[in-house]
Amino acid sequence: MVISHFFLMVVFALIVSVFFALLWRRERAGQVRLFLQLFLGMVLGGLAVAWLMYPFPQGPPAPIP
Amino acid sequence: MTESETTASPAPQSLGLGTAMAAAMIAWLIPGAGHVYLKRWRRGLAFFVLVAISLAIGLALEGHLYRPVPNEPLSWLGTIGQLGLGTVYTVLRYVHYQGDIRGPGFEYGTAFLLTAGLMNLLLVLDAWDIAHGKKD
Repeated sequence: MVISHFFLMVVFALIVSVFFALLWRRERAGQVRLFLQLFLGMVLGGLAVAWLMYPFPQGPPAPIP
Repeated sequence: MTESETTASPAPQSLGLGTAMAAAMIAWLIPGAGHVYLKRWRRGLAFFVLVAISLAIGLALEGHLYRPVPNEPLSWLGTIGQLGLGTVYTVLRYVHYQGDIRGPGFEYGTAFLLTAGLMNLLLVLDAWDIAHGKKD
């Protein structure tokens, strides 16, 4: 199974955003607005955090217990 | 209120403690079923699909299924979160599903499994509130 960190992050953001849009808003317009806020916030926020961490050294891989 | 929720409707009213408890229990056992029980068909189906997708990805990535471990408080928190999956958690424990810590998607899978459980816990509370007339 091919795993892309970015793809999984987008899928996760998509599921959670749709879920909370349906849970917290009842009107269609409000649902769309909240979905976009959550989805873009998570994806763009994730990219921003990744960009901020870019200069840090990666270090050795974590040991498998 | 039916699923044509953009139309004007009277204020939601309480359906009674028995209905609320039944809705919450059904919602916990099967994701989205509490909303279906309260006649929120489309919303219930959408919630079921969302939780099922999150669960399926978590299992495909061989995420961790938490179980309480003495002297490890985080394992208890994880167990409570994943217990939100209700029937599914019980079945996974019964078939001795554990996930694969050596798998490349282990951490992601764990996050998806935990998220599925937590989402269903929120659905239980939502069904409870709807049955009590606090939400429509």
